[in-house]
Amino acid sequence: MANIDALRQEVSRVLSEKIVDVVLGFEAGSLPTRNQPVFIHKAKESKRLVDNGFGSNNLAALLAQRPKDEKIGVICRGCESRAIRALTVEQQLNRENLYLIGVPCRGIIDWRALERAVDGEILAVAEDGEDLLVTLKDDEKKLARAEVLHSACRNCRQPDPVGTDVLIGELPAREGLAQRSPDVAAFLGKDADARYAIFSEEAERCIRCYACREACPMCYCTECFVDHITPRWSESMVSKGGTQAWHIIRAFHQTGRCVSCGACERACPMEIKMEYITDRLNEDMQDMYGFEVGANDSDQPPFAAFSLDDRNRFKE
Amino acid sequence: MSYKTTPVNQFPKLVSQWIKKYDVTAPAEAKNGLEYKTIGDPAEMMLNNRVNTTYAPKAFFLPQSEKLFTVEHGRFQAPELKTKPRLLLGVRPCDTRAFWLLDTVFLAKGEEDAYWQRRRADSLVISFGCDTPCASCFCTSVGGEPFGREGSDIQMTQLEDVYVFEAFTEKGSALINKLPEADAATVKKVKALQKTSAAEMPKAFDNTNLRDHLYALFEDDFWKEVAETCLGCGVCTYLCPTCYCFDIVDEVQRGERVRNWDTCMFRVYSQEASGHNPRPNKAARTRQRVMHKYAYWIDSINEFGCTGCGRCVVNCPVNIDIREIVSAAQARSAKMEAAK
Ligand code: SF4
Ligand code: SF4
Ligand code: SF4
Ligand code: SF4
Ligand code: SF4
Repeated sequence: MANIDALRQEVSRVLSEKIVDVVLGFEAGSLPTRNQPVFIHKAKESKRLVDNGFGSNNLAALLAQRPKDEKIGVICRGCESRAIRALTVEQQLNRENLYLIGVPCRGIIDWRALERAVDGEILAVAEDGEDLLVTLKDDEKKLARAEVLHSACRNCRQPDPVGTDVLIGELPAREGLAQRSPDVAAFLGKDADARYAIFSEEAERCIRCYACREACPMCYCTECFVDHITPRWSESMVSKGGTQAWHIIRAFHQTGRCVSCGACERACPMEIKMEYITDRLNEDMQDMYGFEVGANDSDQPPFAAFSLDDRNRFKE
Repeated sequence: MSYKTTPVNQFPKLVSQWIKKYDVTAPAEAKNGLEYKTIGDPAEMMLNNRVNTTYAPKAFFLPQSEKLFTVEHGRFQAPELKTKPRLLLGVRPCDTRAFWLLDTVFLAKGEEDAYWQRRRADSLVISFGCDTPCASCFCTSVGGEPFGREGSDIQMTQLEDVYVFEAFTEKGSALINKLPEADAATVKKVKALQKTSAAEMPKAFDNTNLRDHLYALFEDDFWKEVAETCLGCGVCTYLCPTCYCFDIVDEVQRGERVRNWDTCMFRVYSQEASGHNPRPNKAARTRQRVMHKYAYWIDSINEFGCTGCGRCVVNCPVNIDIREIVSAAQARSAKMEAAK
């Protein structure tokens, strides 16, 4: 967690010195377990900013719709900085227009898990080191932060922001960050029928609201394949086949591109698990091509890269 | 009408009998919290929950995808009709109010929607009066009440270890007429509870002249501001108990014509064949959602098209809270008026 005063001060500085036109961060939401993304336009508004475990979104997902020539400051955690790198590599963002304010990350709290864990109307939550102090109507509960961390954050391999212009606060010592997703390993440990059963049970709840897509920094297509209608590329009805196809194709489009932020899962109202598929595809990219998304400013994701003198021509 | 009663611990027996005749559909545990399920055993039902289901029960009358008909070898085939009637049990009054509102859309005289009509006629709705509304609830700000009756055949209320039932329709009385009558003291307690629950609920916003205030802001930058972080997803409208927009498509390979939910928050919703989009940005789309609920519904039936269930508040991935939009609109419009 960054020192909030230092963060607000920096935001206020870059706005008043006109280094940027606007800064994207989080402010407190309307419910005690939610933050709301906010665009800060004026230096004096920087006091609205918060830095806590309830910033559920990947802020990089909100950059695609901004005016092309806008200079924009972004407060980034690890996954946001990696998404911005990946988007820059894919030429979706111009790094020169961005001012990246890195903050140390302690992982995002899964508000649904928290509400279930305390089972009562939450009036306030305070973060106290490794603990969460939850105020309920006539009770107070203490909970380990780790218990209600979102799975993406529990599995995060790179929580520290990369390629930022400034870092507010100190990066904590990181030990024992898993290099492979334990969720993927657990999934792969099952036989094909069991894996299909898990996938079906998840996909079955899908209501095709596309919040996962809209919340994802890497799903930026002007027209998604499911919205293509002339000719129609996919079923629009909520049928087993159409919905499974949506899940598989969306995941496939993320191969070597997904930054494992989990924003899709946190946006999903039906609490559908999706990362075990995208993480698995990413591990394939690592094993087959030694590629890791957001690792540097130049490498193209293998499935999105092309070369004019490719040795394997489609047609000789 | 009269009040009937049954001890809480006897209720499962009653439900078991109902299960023989009806598809009894009640909130039950699901992977994502609570969802309506057609239960085979009364032990599955979860009544009097702290939170509502994520998915609204409107889907039982307006399914997300409805097969309108199939075409096989050049012949049209009407969809199979369900034979077992449905008993929706434990529905919150905000959700039954939504049925009542949607009846005005799908049962408008001369324009009855056969599918909605049939499902509504084939069902019985038992609402469950809320004595502990959540922080995201705001029914009393939009014309409803925690014990609102609209859209339900029977309402049940829990008083410690008894359930008290009140029927509002003939269908409803027929279901419970064999239950013992509640005594005067019990009825008094129910009425008192109804009163205090409504009175204790804080108002989320002042709805006076809301329609006019929204119209006054129609061309204002207000919408750009409130929609600045909107993702344009389907969460708020698909979970909304009163949203009813649909799109009709032909699933050609299957020979089916299907009616699917659609939403004004999607870019493609208003996209025209020419490529022109009359609602070209999120500001215009957010304005449509809010104005439909708080202005256009008022224009057509003088009721708000929002029941205050709070699903959009709870589930919006970026915490855009419709209550805050409304309060801000009221304040902005008042300021504009003062400046005139
Ligand atoms: S799912 Fe695929 S087509 Fe759709 S927005 Fe994402 S990357 Fe694009
Ligand atoms: S697919 Fe999900 S986890 Fe991967 S980048 Fe997109 S939002 Fe993040
Ligand atoms: S957010 Fe969830 S319910 Fe919505 S389309 Fe994505 S997976 Fe389906
Ligand atoms: S708010 Fe939008 S989706 Fe809902 S009924 Fe109105 S136009 Fe349709
Ligand atoms: S749920 Fe939130 S982000 Fe999605 S369309 Fe509605 S207001 Fe926008």
